[in-house]
Amino acid sequence: MYPILILLVVLLLYGAAYIFYGKKLLERRVVKADPKRLTPAYEKFDGIDYVPANKYVLYGHHFASIAGAGPIVGPAVALAWGWFLPLIWVLFGNIFIGAVHDYTSIMASVRHGGVSIMTISENVMGRKARYIFLAYVWFALILVLAAFFSVASATFADVPTAATVSIIYMPLALLFGILVYKLGFDVRQATVIVLILVVAGIAYSFYTPVYLTYEGWVVVLALYSILAAALPVWYLLQPRDYLNAYLLWSFVILAVIAPLLLPVVRFTGPAIITFVAKGSVIGAPAGTPAAGLDIAWFWPVVPLTIACGALSGFHSVVGSGTTSKQLSSELDALLVGYGGMLTEGAVSSLAVILPAALVWNFAAVAQDVGLTTDLLLKAGLNITATPNILRFAGAARFYTAYGFAQGIAWSRLVGVELFPQLFIGFRTFAAWALTAFILTTLDTANRLARFAWSEMFDWLKPRRPTLHKLVTNRWVASTLAVVIGAAMAYPTIPGVGRAYLVVWPAFAGTNQLLAALALLTSTLWVYAMLKVRGAISLLMMIPALFLWLTVTLALLVWLVFIVPNLPLIYIGTGIIVGVSVVLDILLIYLFIRGLKSARAL
Amino acid sequence: MKSKEAIGLAITATAIALLLYELFYVNLTKGSVGVKGTISSDSILISAGFLLILVGPWLWLGDVPVAVKKFIEAKTGRKL
Repeated sequence: MYPILILLVVLLLYGAAYIFYGKKLLERRVVKADPKRLTPAYEKFDGIDYVPANKYVLYGHHFASIAGAGPIVGPAVALAWGWFLPLIWVLFGNIFIGAVHDYTSIMASVRHGGVSIMTISENVMGRKARYIFLAYVWFALILVLAAFFSVASATFADVPTAATVSIIYMPLALLFGILVYKLGFDVRQATVIVLILVVAGIAYSFYTPVYLTYEGWVVVLALYSILAAALPVWYLLQPRDYLNAYLLWSFVILAVIAPLLLPVVRFTGPAIITFVAKGSVIGAPAGTPAAGLDIAWFWPVVPLTIACGALSGFHSVVGSGTTSKQLSSELDALLVGYGGMLTEGAVSSLAVILPAALVWNFAAVAQDVGLTTDLLLKAGLNITATPNILRFAGAARFYTAYGFAQGIAWSRLVGVELFPQLFIGFRTFAAWALTAFILTTLDTANRLARFAWSEMFDWLKPRRPTLHKLVTNRWVASTLAVVIGAAMAYPTIPGVGRAYLVVWPAFAGTNQLLAALALLTSTLWVYAMLKVRGAISLLMMIPALFLWLTVTLALLVWLVFIVPNLPLIYIGTGIIVGVSVVLDILLIYLFIRGLKSARAL
Repeated sequence: MKSKEAIGLAITATAIALLLYELFYVNLTKGSVGVKGTISSDSILISAGFLLILVGPWLWLGDVPVAVKKFIEAKTGRKL
């Protein structure tokens, strides 16, 4: 089978899903989006968090925030099952669950004044549910902060030119915002000016490494995160994420072009390797007995490995956090939410899974395109030591596969002898794209933690207004989350690594429980408050219940097979998974109760 | 010019000077900014420039752009 066929099928499915499932059904018949209704960005405009944004700018922000490392590293790890099963899960999980979840979370929030999906759960599941889930989300966001401080700091320490790109990129994003908002430049003019500077900056950073230690970067990024999360969105967040969208599209378009340049190259990877992978594939820490167990049944555990590309609870927090507060018109939500998620699926399937499937077996692909061992060695690829893509760790699988696929595609045009330079250039580009998304997620996660924190203390407002003002002050709330997150990313625990890693393995389950919570809440919102009944309500009911069942079984696999086989140091992980299972059961109980109440109305 | 704006302008100018000095002068003379595996004065200075550039223009230019403010007032009928 040729890659170009898969590419066309994937693009066709995403296009059809957007028009028929998203536009004609969800937007027109379920949510009934109305462009005349004022959004919270106008109604609650404050110049800081509630600020209307152009839909393409907001699309860039939403995508860059939900992307992070998830759509890239998850599918790369999932290649342990082969390339076909992850591709199918990304395609269908994305269209029928993930994109629906993201879009309805945004719309539910927009119709409730821009509050989070956790606060909306109060309307359909009661007050207790709301506070439980707000606290749970706040904690999960701190874990995200800790993990991303660590990943970004390690990347900057290892690839110092990636740090330089970020240092150059941020002021240029600010310049874009100032040109447009303060100096009245046309968006197109400002885009051209700033993009030229960005390209020049990227080229210059090739020769300008900025060296700092891992610990030094944790401190710098913590300070960056506090500032970026408290500053007005129009100032840094909107322009930066708008520019990020160009990076993203260059990244995806190049991934689409590569198979077009290689129409006769076959897939060298196995479509299916196994249906039951090792525990390490679903997050069991390396070196523990749990990592070697054959317990990762593709279903139900796949959402623990592939999150963002197919579905992720974090997206509902972004959608009902920063995105809903910046939406200019209800009609923009489809492009931003549903379209943003489909784009993320495209990143996973076209830029991660397809290139890996193509170049999987290095010797076979080298033979197909006429690459000599000498050229591969010049590119730093020793096919004896690393005969296939699975020999690389998660993120490196992605850089290598992307760089390799691009390298062979473009070397057909410019000469095979240039393969090493092309491979190295595209591999670096892929690493930078990943870092850019991580940095965006870092400050968005902190802003979201601030929102969750503020909503958690709204009961204090009528009783102690001064204390409420202090507790929910944006600088105080931003600093609190960052200090805890950075403190978890900074120290090292012998035999484990950075401190946050003792609880991080539980994050995948926490995140997908959030997805189940958000989708069940949105489903109830549609059913109880929008009064959507009959067959059309099944569009959400079926995916929501399927997701809940999948997540429940996946959490149970973790609790029954992995937790007992972890060393004692991971007790925190075990506790979080246990709490998640309890909350998961509580969630379905509240859902059924909410559904019964809605039916009685 | 208000004092907040003056401070913002001073911070912006300092941040730009630090970034240009480190990225061009230091890099072109030493071949890198900072020394691998250590926290050097150059890495501290460029980090300071990176963080200060986030704050300076915001203090200098203010919270809400006038154009955005006027647009919201026209759309909502609410005086900001």
